[in-house]
Amino acid sequence: MIFSGIEMLFFTLGVMTTLGIGTIIYYNRKLKFNGWAWATICTGLFLLIFTTAWSVSAVLEGEPRASSMGLIVFGIPSIILLVLGRKLALSKKTKE
Amino acid sequence: MSKEELNKKEESNTVNRRDFLKYGGVLTVLGAMGVSAAAAIPKKAVSKNVNKLIANNIVKEHDDFPAEIREDYVAPTNFDNIHARAFFADALKPLGVEVEKDIIENGRQFVHKMNHAWDNSKAGYNQVDKALLAGSWAMSNYGAGPSPAAISDYGVFSWEQKTEKNPQAFLDNDFIAPEKWKFESKQEAANYIKRAAKLFGANLVGITKRDKRWDYSKFLNPIPPIARKPMSGMPTPEQLEELKNWGPDKFVTDWNSFPFEPKSVIVMAFEMDYEGFATAPCHISGASAGDGYSRLTKTAYQLAVYLKNLGYKAVAAGNDTGLSVPYAIAAGLGENSRLGQVVTYKYGPRVRIAKVYTDFDFVEYDKPKSFGVMDFCKNCMRCADACPSKAITHDKEPSFEPTHDNKDNAWYNTKGVKKYHIDAKKCFQIWAELGDDCGVCIAACPYNKPDFWHHRLVDSVSAAMPGTVHDIMREMDKLFGYGNVEDEAAIKKFYSPDGKSYNGH
Repeated sequence: MIFSGIEMLFFTLGVMTTLGIGTIIYYNRKLKFNGWAWATICTGLFLLIFTTAWSVSAVLEGEPRASSMGLIVFGIPSIILLVLGRKLALSKKTKE
Repeated sequence: MSKEELNKKEESNTVNRRDFLKYGGVLTVLGAMGVSAAAAIPKKAVSKNVNKLIANNIVKEHDDFPAEIREDYVAPTNFDNIHARAFFADALKPLGVEVEKDIIENGRQFVHKMNHAWDNSKAGYNQVDKALLAGSWAMSNYGAGPSPAAISDYGVFSWEQKTEKNPQAFLDNDFIAPEKWKFESKQEAANYIKRAAKLFGANLVGITKRDKRWDYSKFLNPIPPIARKPMSGMPTPEQLEELKNWGPDKFVTDWNSFPFEPKSVIVMAFEMDYEGFATAPCHISGASAGDGYSRLTKTAYQLAVYLKNLGYKAVAAGNDTGLSVPYAIAAGLGENSRLGQVVTYKYGPRVRIAKVYTDFDFVEYDKPKSFGVMDFCKNCMRCADACPSKAITHDKEPSFEPTHDNKDNAWYNTKGVKKYHIDAKKCFQIWAELGDDCGVCIAACPYNKPDFWHHRLVDSVSAAMPGTVHDIMREMDKLFGYGNVEDEAAIKKFYSPDGKSYNGH
């Protein structure tokens, strides 16, 4: 194997971060986020990336339970925050 | 508003696909520039700054030993070590030291099981596990003999300081060079010595001043000198005469018998296998410890020969000659803990320790460091809960005296140092029952983790948090499935080719 698991993980995290930031900028141009939308979406994105990093690392170190728990403890809040952020962004657009 | 105006407004508010690609391109270029800029920064400067940041915020350096020591503290003898006393009770009897019968019996059981016994009906204790245990200990047994039981001056840990090659040997570098190598600076000396230790196999290295408080005050060694090293030629008449006159009056020596006045102690830590310790308690975790002892034997001897070839005197040691835990703390390798083991920043308590005593002192000494372990231990107690013989205290605060059931006859505890005192008698009882060195406390400790970024992150966060958060972190550690003991699945995982054997790099 040329790349180790952890190298592949951090490469993937870089791709996710770039796509995530790109998508946020794209939708901000479209929907004009307010402060709350920015805060929830950015925190959600950070948590989502952290969840991926944690869970894949836990699998690589051979601790599948830690990986599953990572998905629950960090993953669910990240999804909730992203959905909430989307709602906040869209509600502003609807009011306009 | 006309249709054209409306289209224009819409265009200004939205980003079309071309724009998205354009922004993406700009982002990529910026990212690439960032990466190039980061790559242009010398790697050393980055790691130096990161280390400085961590050192200032999480890892604290101390000028003095980071534990309170009472004035009446007395350095122990090596036969205050429960293993030395259990295994060499017969030698102590003529000296007037009576050893409790249960300790002698536990010693006999332990030695018998470890040398001869296996149980093919018990997972982790099969012949194949026993073979693993035997193989792992082989180098330590051959090279350092009773050193794990605190007995000095044996095998490659010999105190002998030859000044010329053994005439009987084909190749022999184990003698002091006639000229002393002069380093340009103390830092250079520390760098060279640490690099050599790492090359020889140490995972962590620290250098500290020799401190008489942590040296055994007296040394029991009933093994005749002629039997302490493999034969390298025909015995000399002097050796035969010494053997003839060997007796209890020569069993105990002190620092007057040591070949030089040590000035520095190089302390090394050796990581033990994570997956092996996850099987604790059984022969596989015992094998992980045994492998640590075998590696430390080899490395400590190599470093002693390195120092001798620089023209300085040196004696390698494992558990013998001095107390390894306080020396490791003094050399900045880690912090004290509830389970009595040194907890290192990188490997937690899953390390074995070796020392090299030398008269070389033109060297930069390391300072003791702490990163919140003792604070975390106040609330955690996972090791105390998991300990099968309840040898680890549940006291919230450390104390100067032991507080366990055997405290009135706790000759094995070093009293006068504020720490958590282990009941070695109870601990040794389970060793006798198992026929190996248990290791449950190390496996259960939340600091025992593979060397992955997310554990270092959690450790750093926990160091910065107050006690109540430690309670939550302890529970989270359990929920996340770390620190399980008596887990048969861990044995299958250890032997599986899909097992970890991968440390995140």
